[in-house]
Amino acid sequence: MDKIGLYLGCLIPTEQYAYELAIREVLPELGLELVDIEEPACCGAPLRHINLSLTMYLSARNMALFEKEGLDILAPCPYCHQALSEVKDVMKKNPALKKKVNSYLKEEGLEYKGTIEHYHLLDLLHDQIGIDKIKKHVKKPLEGLNIAAHYGCHLIRPNDIPRPDDSENPQKLETLLKAIGAESDYYNEKLNCCGAHILLNESESALTKTGQKLEAVQNHGFDGMTTMCPWGQRMFDAKQDSAGQTVGASLSVPVIYYIQLLGLALGKEPEALGLHLNKSPVGKLSSKEEV
Amino acid sequence: MARIGVFICHCGTNIAGVVDVEDVVRYASELDDVIFATDYKYMCSDPGGRVIKDAIKEYDLDKVVVAACSPRMHEPTFQAVITDEGVNPYCLEMANIREHCSWVHKDEKKEATLKAKDLVSMAVAKAGLLEPLESYSKDVVHDALVIGGGIAGIQASLDLAESGCKVYLVEREPSIGGRMAQLDKTYPTLDCSSCILTPKMMDVSRNPNIELYTYSEVVEVEGSVGDYKVKVKRKPTYVDWDKCNGCGECALVCRMKGKIPDEFNEGLGKRSAIYVPFQQAVPLKYTIDPSKCLMLLSGKCGDSPPCKDVCTLDAIDYEQEEEIIELNVGAIIAATGYDLLDANEMYEYGYNHSPDIITNLEFERLICSSGPTGGEIKRLSDDGEVKSVSFILCVGSRDKDLKEYCCRIGCMGALKHAYLLKEHLGDDLEINICYTDIRSFGKGYEEFYRRIRDTGTNFMRGRPSEIRTMKDGKLNFDIFDTATQKLFQVTSDIVVLVPALIPREGSDDIGRMLRISRGADDFFLESHPKLKPVDTSTDGIFIAGCCQGPKDIPDVVAQASGAASRANTILSKDTLESVSTVAVVNEDLCSGCGICAPVCDYGAIEIVEVEGEESKKIAEVDVALCKGCGACASACPSGAMEQKGFKCEQLSAMIRAVSKQVE
Amino acid sequence: MSIVDLTSMAEPEGNQQAKVDEIIKGLREDLSHDCYQCGKCTSGCEAFILTELEPHKVMALSKSGFIDELLNSSEIWTCVTCLKCKERCPQDLAPVDVIFALKNIAVVSGKQIDSGYSNMLQAVLGTGFIQSPKEVVDRENNAVTRDALGLPPMKGPAEIPKLQQVLMKAATETLR
Ligand SMILES: Cc1cc2nc3c(=O)[nH]c(=O)nc-3n(C[C@H](O)[C@H](O)[C@H](O)COP(=O)(O)OP(=O)(O)OC[C@H]3O[C@@H](n4cnc5c(N)ncnc54)[C@H](O)[C@@H]3O)c2cc1C
Ligand code: SF4
Ligand code: SF4
Repeated sequence: MDKIGLYLGCLIPTEQYAYELAIREVLPELGLELVDIEEPACCGAPLRHINLSLTMYLSARNMALFEKEGLDILAPCPYCHQALSEVKDVMKKNPALKKKVNSYLKEEGLEYKGTIEHYHLLDLLHDQIGIDKIKKHVKKPLEGLNIAAHYGCHLIRPNDIPRPDDSENPQKLETLLKAIGAESDYYNEKLNCCGAHILLNESESALTKTGQKLEAVQNHGFDGMTTMCPWGQRMFDAKQDSAGQTVGASLSVPVIYYIQLLGLALGKEPEALGLHLNKSPVGKLSSKEEV
Repeated sequence: MARIGVFICHCGTNIAGVVDVEDVVRYASELDDVIFATDYKYMCSDPGGRVIKDAIKEYDLDKVVVAACSPRMHEPTFQAVITDEGVNPYCLEMANIREHCSWVHKDEKKEATLKAKDLVSMAVAKAGLLEPLESYSKDVVHDALVIGGGIAGIQASLDLAESGCKVYLVEREPSIGGRMAQLDKTYPTLDCSSCILTPKMMDVSRNPNIELYTYSEVVEVEGSVGDYKVKVKRKPTYVDWDKCNGCGECALVCRMKGKIPDEFNEGLGKRSAIYVPFQQAVPLKYTIDPSKCLMLLSGKCGDSPPCKDVCTLDAIDYEQEEEIIELNVGAIIAATGYDLLDANEMYEYGYNHSPDIITNLEFERLICSSGPTGGEIKRLSDDGEVKSVSFILCVGSRDKDLKEYCCRIGCMGALKHAYLLKEHLGDDLEINICYTDIRSFGKGYEEFYRRIRDTGTNFMRGRPSEIRTMKDGKLNFDIFDTATQKLFQVTSDIVVLVPALIPREGSDDIGRMLRISRGADDFFLESHPKLKPVDTSTDGIFIAGCCQGPKDIPDVVAQASGAASRANTILSKDTLESVSTVAVVNEDLCSGCGICAPVCDYGAIEIVEVEGEESKKIAEVDVALCKGCGACASACPSGAMEQKGFKCEQLSAMIRAVSKQVE
Repeated sequence: MSIVDLTSMAEPEGNQQAKVDEIIKGLREDLSHDCYQCGKCTSGCEAFILTELEPHKVMALSKSGFIDELLNSSEIWTCVTCLKCKERCPQDLAPVDVIFALKNIAVVSGKQIDSGYSNMLQAVLGTGFIQSPKEVVDRENNAVTRDALGLPPMKGPAEIPKLQQVLMKAATETLR
């Protein structure tokens, strides 16, 4: 694989700029050309609360766009990735539904066939690019760091549709962390939720979830936490202070996208990876590492 | 010209409620060769039989068609009826207008009637060409084979031996006893498991009618009911059992002593490379584990192997080889038992995250005074004191993703464990039983459940979502109790998982060798769920115990005695009538190509030279072995091989009859 | 023949239950019917402890047809979609999908919903995305934009009215 279509969804290109910067910086270094396509829109997952049909239509629409270009998809947002997976799966099992979706797509001059694959960074890095290749590119291994892995609920669940890793015992992120020289302990809260989903209407409960998980990570003695999800990153990084206030804890956990960590290990400049955009004390990571 | 009578059954409303029976009678009476046609409410009843008999007499019928249910149900009934009137039993043809018609087309009455007519016309067409067949008889071997020496196999062997049969009992492990030997006490009466099992094991070893082959496996089964030829592999134990007196000096000095996880103790204890599984083993003879013995692995064990040095009887024999034993038996009982589902299948319960999360079978070993801790209940992670134990029921049972069925022993087992725990550790011990439904269905079980409810055990009606191992080693889980509507956080020293029961590893091979089916749950399938619970789809093969499905000891023993008595219905006969619908060769057409011989699963075909005719060969069928499966007939390229009762011309007539309807 | 809830005198709404089934049917065959109330979903529900959302109860109520009290409740809007209930249900059921269906029904039947959700819908109808590129601040509190960071301009649908039209149609005629 040397070329892939980039599907960023809503949250990444409108505020999680660090994620986008790091993706655009690191993947070409590993020999993967990223292609932006014309006219993408929301994957529809956030509208599922209101109307499931909107999710189905929008996900199919985005896949159809990439299909037209003959490109597989990289969807770095687990929420998008899961919506694409689910809609793809449903249309495979239910040809009548596929026909109906296509009758709508036709009005936008599109057709969904189901001929392309979509990846998240997790399986793209672990299975497509591969651990060996990553190891070969590492210039500055992140030795001495013990990083908590946060996968994100939608990345691994539910297991009745294809997901990038095991739903109960995912290990790929840990393997990727080891590949760049870091450690990653198991912790009981590993599969817990960040709370992002109810930030809109139940912000206190949402921040409690965020705070509890961060507190667990901090108490475990991790040096930091890594994510692969813009929603989770937003909660754990940008909202860390308010989460701390909500649960009454003083939190100081560096939270960083895995792709940023990978960039650091490849010897990239922190600025090029958007590290200055992380709100949590990510500086602690590099100081610890140098020691 | 055949003289055919057609008899159409209403089966109450089973058939007549859907199919217009009178219309079918009218239709049948107009078919060629049909002399008489009628209907009756229950053809299989006595008066129904009389209707057939009277018609045979009155109209001098020589062929009979009964349109009713499956021949599996009532073919023998109607064969007996017509035999009474002097008609050959094979001049009966059945049309299945119930299972194949009325039951499956409840809502399409018109079409069902048409289909019933088609089925009848086919049966009539075939009946016209039926030939009287003779039956063959064969001698019955009176010995029996029992596979698996758990309580099921032990009970079946003892019953058969007592009735005078010679029994070969084949057990894969070095000792008989099975799972029951691993149990501490048994519900609902709490008798000590080995106290009631050991005498039975001794009975087996003392019974002159039982020949015990432990550490052995069945590797090949041929033949058919009344006459099975079986090969048994005796694995080398590397100890001469004629010499070994079970003193156990060897195990004490073994260089691998205390290093090998002990299967009998579910891996909680350690054994040597030379071992007996447990002290009451039958036979009490030592076995060397070839996958662990240094001598067998590398030809060297220190300067000289200590086991050999210490054995005054010179029983150790590293050169021993496996032995194949050939047995000839009339019936076989499979009693291969169960395993537990790997608790890691339910990963969220953290089985491999902590040594204190154990299965109920591990718990049996932990609480057993002959177990690895001598019955002392402690945390296996740090030998720490136990103040709280939680039981999680239905782990992988009643689960659509894992095992859909109920394990039938989990609830009662946990109640038993709660009782024993209070007995061992006193009333202050906290016990939590997390259940979905307590199933205490057996005799005395509900009473036992009530007794446990009185002991201060906490019953939580719900199921945890995950179990966490905390930093201090304690186990922790949240459970929503639907009774109190509260979410409890529980912290325990030990969590006991109660996993689903599954067929014993390797039982698929046994099933294949015995040609018996397995159900959707993977357990061996009985012939009929209610009326033939220990028979299988293969004549002469019976099943007993947990290999047929999860059950506890009272049910296992009852079933084992049932299987023994069913086996006796064969073993007690001198001869058996074998099928008449055997294969026959048309010698004029047969070229002796030999394609049929390897197709026969029963080894009934031999290619022989024709006497007096140089170089002409033909196939010959041994009717005593032929089961009438028809595989050879369909394989024969020249149409020389045919199966009686299912000859080409008979089947073609049926096809012609039905295609005429279509035209 | 009838069942009445004596605390509220409510009767089961059979046809409402069918609506839930209808919505999920497009996604999966197993609905709430096989639920045997083991409670595993609620034991692990990430929302329950904070918001009293009880997925097992949602299943029982929707199975028995008492769906109105759920439609009027705020609980169904507190599911964090951690998907643990769906993942771990021993009967392969999906309380989370039933909850989504209930929310969809609440919207159709004109129940009051949080403005956050309606704003999101408006944004997608207007731009194709739930929000537009924001100005953010870095750790030193300097404002930055995509442009300033050297990121390419964000792409989006060219013909918004067309997209809007199809979306409205899909939403009202329902895809399944
Ligand atoms: C934790 C626990 C507690 C229990 N407590 C109770 C209780 O208190 N009361 C009660 O009534 N029941 C109890 N039971 C149930 C009881 O264990 C079973 O009902 C009983 O042991 C089943 O006996 P079995 O002979 O059918 O099978 P098993 O005991 O499994 O015996 C099968 C035998 O066949 C052998 N075998 C397997 N495959 C082969 C092969 N291919 N060739 C040769 N040999 C083979 C095996 O080695 C084994 O010896 C409990 C079960 C568990 C798990
Ligand atoms: S886990 Fe599944 S079966 Fe159990 S209560 Fe929840 S929905 Fe019902
Ligand atoms: S998906 Fe929703 S209902 Fe299900 S466990 Fe998570 S928060 Fe609870």
